[in-house]
Amino acid sequence: MVDSKRESIMSGNEAIARGALEAGIGFCASYPGTPSTEITTKLFEAVNEFDIHVEWSTNEKVALESAAAASWVGIPALCPMKSLGLNVASDFLLNLNLSGTGKGGLVIVVCDDPKGHSSSNEQDSRFYAKAAQIPLLEPSSFQEAKDVTQYAFKLSQKYEVPVLLRSTTRLSHSRGLVRTEKITRRKKKTREMPERLFNVPAPHLRHKDLIEKMSKVEEEFNNSPFNVGINTEDMNLLIISSGISSLYTHEAIHELGFEGIGRMNLVTTNPLPRKPVSNLLEIAKGILLIEENDPFLEDAIRSFSVEMKETPQFYGKLTGHIPSYGEMNTDIVITALKELTGQLLRDPRTIQHQSIDHVVKRPLTFCAGCTHRNFYWAVRTVKTRLGGKLVVAGDIGCYSLGVFYDQAMDTMQAMGSGIGVGSGLGQLHRFGFDSKVISLAGDSTFFHACLPGLINAKHKRADLTFVILDNATTAMTGFQVHPGSSHQSENLQRVDIEKLVNAIEPDFFAKGDATDIPSLIDLLHSTVQKEGLKILLLDSICWLEEVKRKPGFVGATPVKIDKSLCKGEKCRICYADFGCTAFSWDSETGLPIISDQVCVQCGACIAVCPHKAIVESE
Amino acid sequence: MRDPFSILVAGVGGQGNLVTGRIIAEAAVMQGLRPVVGDTFGASRRGGSVLTHIRIGKQDWGPLIPKGEVDVLLGFEPVEALRAATKYAGYRTVAVVNMTPVPLISVASRDLTYPKIDEIKNALESSCKQVHLIDTEPVLNRSGSTKVLNSYMIGVLSSLESGFLDPKNLRKAISTILDSEKDMAVFDEGTQALL
Repeated sequence: MVDSKRESIMSGNEAIARGALEAGIGFCASYPGTPSTEITTKLFEAVNEFDIHVEWSTNEKVALESAAAASWVGIPALCPMKSLGLNVASDFLLNLNLSGTGKGGLVIVVCDDPKGHSSSNEQDSRFYAKAAQIPLLEPSSFQEAKDVTQYAFKLSQKYEVPVLLRSTTRLSHSRGLVRTEKITRRKKKTREMPERLFNVPAPHLRHKDLIEKMSKVEEEFNNSPFNVGINTEDMNLLIISSGISSLYTHEAIHELGFEGIGRMNLVTTNPLPRKPVSNLLEIAKGILLIEENDPFLEDAIRSFSVEMKETPQFYGKLTGHIPSYGEMNTDIVITALKELTGQLLRDPRTIQHQSIDHVVKRPLTFCAGCTHRNFYWAVRTVKTRLGGKLVVAGDIGCYSLGVFYDQAMDTMQAMGSGIGVGSGLGQLHRFGFDSKVISLAGDSTFFHACLPGLINAKHKRADLTFVILDNATTAMTGFQVHPGSSHQSENLQRVDIEKLVNAIEPDFFAKGDATDIPSLIDLLHSTVQKEGLKILLLDSICWLEEVKRKPGFVGATPVKIDKSLCKGEKCRICYADFGCTAFSWDSETGLPIISDQVCVQCGACIAVCPHKAIVESE
Repeated sequence: MRDPFSILVAGVGGQGNLVTGRIIAEAAVMQGLRPVVGDTFGASRRGGSVLTHIRIGKQDWGPLIPKGEVDVLLGFEPVEALRAATKYAGYRTVAVVNMTPVPLISVASRDLTYPKIDEIKNALESSCKQVHLIDTEPVLNRSGSTKVLNSYMIGVLSSLESGFLDPKNLRKAISTILDSEKDMAVFDEGTQALL
């Protein structure tokens, strides 16, 4: 972060972090979520050198509230999150927009994930800028990721509104060269809190104030040097793009070598800078819009074009020239341009591929030795014993992979949804719903979003088993600390999940050992058959984190296959059903192989073999 | 050199894709070029497919290689190389592929079997201009670690005719980023693999 080189390779996320430091940030609060996590991770590295506060908050709403507090007393604050995080924080955001952010400046970075590479949905978070009527900025290169972050702080400080900076996976997680400037250490000083940090009794008047601020922001955006037009003098077609799509657009025009195509890249996308856009709309006969996710700009530009004397022809997601779902890329722009310019010739570059048959899928699964696999193995066993009458309501974390594990997890939506859905299902038995209900959460998710659902379940006497898979870390996103983590730095106070859940006084509580499959099956089977609210806290292990802490760390039980006992092809349970990634199948001998390189020596698989052919080795 | 020159690294989580992207990018910067590296690493820790798109040129190009535009396909794993080739390879693609498979694990499909290496080779040849299958096992066994696979493959990359990255720069980037004698040694071996 503090390298003296003028130009260095950075990911979009690192460039955003750098921009925040150059803008004099003092406070960052965040909850980890792909593809946004590395912004905060990078800022943690700068904590001591620049004396800034950086925290992993329990959830995005708490993070935003904390960041607003800092901004109110004059400390520039950054609040990075993933798309779904903004859903959590939005309740506060749609009040904060009216209350204002004080002098410090507050920038919310939201990293959308088109195609949902690492997300449970595909959503366009830019609509929150519209809903909250706040400025929206979309950097389109690595350099802009840094520069626009700096500008975002200036904008927020000037108008005292939260500014939303939107990135997407391909900007956040790609790397390029970024020119950096010096970071000056901020003076440690706070201001008086602004007055009237509430919107009542006349929220509509605060709304009026916000609308006035936004019309000033639009004037500023009309002259923004970030919105660049290229080759717009003599064009038939104008491409308007935002975000990383601008690189695809540039490349597509270069690849095709077409003339008469102008392009404009918009960085300040809400409020729409109408002046420069309408100037170009008057010249171009056709307008093609290229943007990630939904037709956000397309809607906005189309809707104000009705005021023009002559409306140009629009092409984009609304006309089917650009797909309305999934991720943008250069090929999509090339295809659209060929269609629009009438050059529908077969592209000689592409080769007819005949090899699809051999491209077998490599599905995601749990790591070798992951105790979540042990848990789902127990779930599958208990479900069979109950004749299939078992529903598992889950949510977000590594354990979400349960949906791919013989569909051992039945539902998976938002953070904390498992206990909320379970709270509903657990009250439906009187309507004839006859399955036992398990609600699932990981430890970080438990703190993030499970308490209201759990309290509701207790209050309504819902009949369910709430299982907390506690590996004491935020494993999915790279081991960030949370209130229940076993390793806390000195300035943090650990919060004990066991004490917390017992304060709710469940009808039954037990702790279990997720490394021991037989005891896990017994515990789960006996617990789900009890009445009322049952809570199981399972002591789990993330081997990745163990290895990170102690390189080369392995368990105490190395295993091997006893070939005299193994039933080979007739069975395949260890490999094909249990599916630990340390197992592979030797089709020549018809026997399983355990890879010493992959195996973590946890010994969990010993219990899985019905023929006792997996044995401890010396 | 073509501008952009596109290198696609295909492997599974844990094979060192991401570091490979960083090393090649640093070497490009040493030659006064601008690299853009696009990673897909949502699944990297969990044994899923991982692709790294490397674009090198005099300006920033998009972080995803257009279809058919791969100059060099660096395959760390046969099926992953093929998966990448069917999507991105074209008439000028030179593929360099490690022929040691990473087994497939699937709980959903009991019938999942790994295709034969010959079938993969034929399929790769149908979609690329040239295919080099590399037997990395002797080197990896000698070095005692599979973790150096990427440095070895970068060595092979540096020896390609179409390559413009100076082996000295790649070696220097490995030394800066990995700082490991073992990696330097297998890199040197890699530069000789196609001779």
